[in-house]
Amino acid sequence: MSAQHRTTVPGTRGSLARSRPRYGEFVVKAVLLTAAMVSVATTIGIVIALLEPTVEFFAAVSIGEFFGSTDWGPLFNPPAFGVWPLIVATVEITLIAVVVAVPLGLAAAIYLSEYASHRTRKIFKPVLEVLAGVPTVVFGFFALTFVTPLFRNLFPFLDLEAKNALAAGLLVGVMIIPIVASLSEDSMAAVPNGLREGSYALGASKMLTSVRVVVPAAFSGIVAAIILAISRAAGETMIVAIAGGFKSVFTLYPGNEMSTMAAFIAQAGSGDASVGSIAYKTIFAVGSLLFVITFAMNYLSARMVQKYREVYD
Amino acid sequence: MSEIGISVPNVNVRGPEVPRTIEALDPVFTVSNLSVFYGDYEAVRGVDMTIGNREITAMIGPSGCGKSTVLRCFNRMNDLIPGARAVGEILYHDENLYGDHVDPIEVRRRIGMVFQKPNPFPKSIYDNIAYGPRVNGIKGNMDEIVEEALTKAALWDEVKDKIKQNALSLSGGQQQRLCIARAIAVKPDVILMDEPCSALDPIATTKIEDLMQELTRDYTIVIVTHNMQQAARVSDRTAFFTAEVDGAGVRHGRLVEFDETSRIFTNPSDKRTEDYITGRFG
Ligand SMILES: Nc1ncnc2c1ncn2[C@@H]1O[C@H](COP(=O)(O)OP(=O)(O)O)[C@@H](O)[C@H]1O
Ligand SMILES: [Mg+2]
Repeated sequence: MSAQHRTTVPGTRGSLARSRPRYGEFVVKAVLLTAAMVSVATTIGIVIALLEPTVEFFAAVSIGEFFGSTDWGPLFNPPAFGVWPLIVATVEITLIAVVVAVPLGLAAAIYLSEYASHRTRKIFKPVLEVLAGVPTVVFGFFALTFVTPLFRNLFPFLDLEAKNALAAGLLVGVMIIPIVASLSEDSMAAVPNGLREGSYALGASKMLTSVRVVVPAAFSGIVAAIILAISRAAGETMIVAIAGGFKSVFTLYPGNEMSTMAAFIAQAGSGDASVGSIAYKTIFAVGSLLFVITFAMNYLSARMVQKYREVYD
Repeated sequence: MSEIGISVPNVNVRGPEVPRTIEALDPVFTVSNLSVFYGDYEAVRGVDMTIGNREITAMIGPSGCGKSTVLRCFNRMNDLIPGARAVGEILYHDENLYGDHVDPIEVRRRIGMVFQKPNPFPKSIYDNIAYGPRVNGIKGNMDEIVEEALTKAALWDEVKDKIKQNALSLSGGQQQRLCIARAIAVKPDVILMDEPCSALDPIATTKIEDLMQELTRDYTIVIVTHNMQQAARVSDRTAFFTAEVDGAGVRHGRLVEFDETSRIFTNPSDKRTEDYITGRFG
């Protein structure tokens, strides 16, 4: 697009003034600006679209009921609007995912950044990125049709329901491993080599150097990676909808079926809640809550990244 | 580098009592026919030298002549560079430094290193010093170890009130002395220094030079320096390196002359050394 065919032959004589107008430059700038505007406008649009029905929702349902009850069933009769079952399910599945993804992702990052030869890294990084590109519906079905049956056979005492938070959480964890690994690897690779040499020169092994120097030096970048992964996990929909289920009975046991915020939105949104009904507005209220939570986490993550940039300046 | 005032009488060279011999009497390192390769490239060819116990040995020469490369062989730091390989022999006391049984980690515990750019860890001053003893499992009162190392590095008085502050808050010169203290804390035998003052101002440089004089009572020091006056001021022996082009047109670092510092700077036996120290190099 930006290819500008300026056919000035070197050595030919002529004025130093621009020989032809550079329309291309202008077009490129306009296209890029539009692209930037689209994403900003979308974000603003989302906020506005969420805000109005949310405000209407809280006109009908008190904030006290929303945050003060564990009874959820906006589609039932009579409806109940205690959002805690959704929050608990979201937090629990996110926690399980983090427990899976942080150790594995960090180990992968340390391996890639500190141990792998140039050649191995060149093979492994794309594999990791392919994992990031697997459609989440695949993870969802894998959890539902493979992991859950396997666990029911291996660990009958867990008493897993056909859909459960455990299997969903595990696969959400697998889904976010590449985020943790890739971003952590970036921040570890940015640690100046001088620090590693300083550590080796004191008689530290590679393992100690990685764990005691490189990881702490890259810490804020790693934290940012984890926060970003958490917000992806909290918002993940397909896996939890398929493998976690929609039942919104208040329970803490991850072997049970539970509905996360995202799963509820998917379920209610694809149902027949008529526009303007309370059930319809509930979708937006839950969406706002999820938006606020993930936005706060992304903001935190951006702040962390900024802080980590300053460390070596 | 402007005027290089190597007018003989002003030069403060230590140890006229050292006998006039090219070989150090009590060698810590004995280097024989050392060549170092980066992949297929022979960066340094055929070096023979000795490093005397409790002496300061300076390595000088134009940039790219392999001083750092040779220095990094003494603690096997080059092992960390893929494709780097040393051929020949380096005896550390009587042990072959590159022998099969030798553990490079153990080597580096005994032979510390200070780098060109101060590289404190982004941790507290205390944790910087304690790092080496901790990873090496050195037992003892850590507070005492930290204080002793900082005192030896002439930094204690300046930092004793802010020992828990981040080391990156120190000035460049203080950071470099912290790195020296960090090396001392594991009680090494030898300290290697690769242009430790090149990033520092003259006052900080003087402090480090004074410190080296202090340390030479307990430690053997090898220093690479760009600054010939520094080599003349602090060292007992000097090795002058240069790069030579071989028949195939490839540049190799070579050791030209190795002798007592006083001799190198007053009566060098090689024309190239003389040209270099008088600034006529080129
Ligand atoms: N890691 C490396 N890989 C390849 N070549 C290197 C490496 N380090 C140094 N060299 C080469 O070896 C030669 C000597 O370098 P060096 O020891 O750094 O010189 P000096 O310290 O005297 O300036 C130079 O030609 C340099 O380009
Ligand atoms: Mg060098």
